[in-house]
Amino acid sequence: MINDKNSQKIVDIIQNWSRKHSIWVLAYGTGCGAIEIPPTMTSRYDAERLGVRGAATPRQADVLLITGYLTTKTLKRVIRVYEQMQDPKYVIGFGSCTINGGMYYDSYNTIKVLDKYLPVDVYINGCMPRPEAVLAGFGKLQQLIAEGKANGATKYKENLEWYKGNQKKIIPNWVMPEYNW
Amino acid sequence: MQEIKENLINHIKANFPDATEKEFDGNRLDFNVDKQCIPSILTYLKDRLGYIHLSHIACVDWLEEGEFEIIFIVWSPEEKMKVFIRTRIDRDKPVMPNIDMIWRQANTYERELREMFGVEFIGLEAPDEFLLEDWDGPPPMRRDFDTEAYADDTFWHRPGREDALDVREEIIRRSREEIPDFAKKYSR
Repeated sequence: MINDKNSQKIVDIIQNWSRKHSIWVLAYGTGCGAIEIPPTMTSRYDAERLGVRGAATPRQADVLLITGYLTTKTLKRVIRVYEQMQDPKYVIGFGSCTINGGMYYDSYNTIKVLDKYLPVDVYINGCMPRPEAVLAGFGKLQQLIAEGKANGATKYKENLEWYKGNQKKIIPNWVMPEYNW
Repeated sequence: MQEIKENLINHIKANFPDATEKEFDGNRLDFNVDKQCIPSILTYLKDRLGYIHLSHIACVDWLEEGEFEIIFIVWSPEEKMKVFIRTRIDRDKPVMPNIDMIWRQANTYERELREMFGVEFIGLEAPDEFLLEDWDGPPPMRRDFDTEAYADDTFWHRPGREDALDVREEIIRRSREEIPDFAKKYSR
């Protein structure tokens, strides 16, 4: 890496600029919000003009879109997916279910607060958010990336124990591999 | 339609004298039977009377009476008729005869009822869990299971929902609109 601090800053700016314009989203529909993704991606709203497009696997994706409620069962898979993604990676919480449980606030198997388990960069509220709101969320994420503030992955690495503790509290039989950076 | 119903009632009554029928409008007929009769009455309906399609197996929790009601819904594509076979079992020891040798797909419904209501089907070949993973609480679809208390114990809640204001009242206060009489009973 470059040792000079000012040169590093310039490299960061270029990196962030290029990251911001190629946001690849993992097509992993966890809840009912996944139905808003096809109109966002197709010709009417055409998210691809912003560089937002679908990726096939977690290892190729930049953004994990949590579209709606997460049951304890799906949370397992989502954690697994998130840990397989490579840096830079961001999480967007989509819909009111990820924020405070939404209409499932008293359900016996859905989590209510997503940011206790995964570091969320941007929340999009609404039940459901329309494609305009989704695009606004992606715009906000691009802005954060350009400013270098979308640092959810760093937060996850630094506070790994806290996140793992929260995750293991509701997933008692932990049979997944332990990732450590 | 009436002929088909009477014919069916006669057939069932001749073979299962304990069954009590209840008629409904349209293409529906209910039978209340004892739980030991379930495999034989379903086999009879399937093999002799053409009710070849199992639509659903449902469970109703009669908490006040201390009983579960298990309902099997079968459908005849030729007679366009659906038959509900109902039976009551004890709520404390919910044991049912297994019918997945009659319809293979009954296995799925029985596993669901086992997890959601705790109904045991004798000899059910499904050792692993179906919908709930790592579940150690009581069966969640029973009426005495308090979901809200369980969610409060298990999960975090983001603060801010406690006030639970009635949105309708706030809108009325702002716009000075009258609630119509029919809507008052829905107001909190």
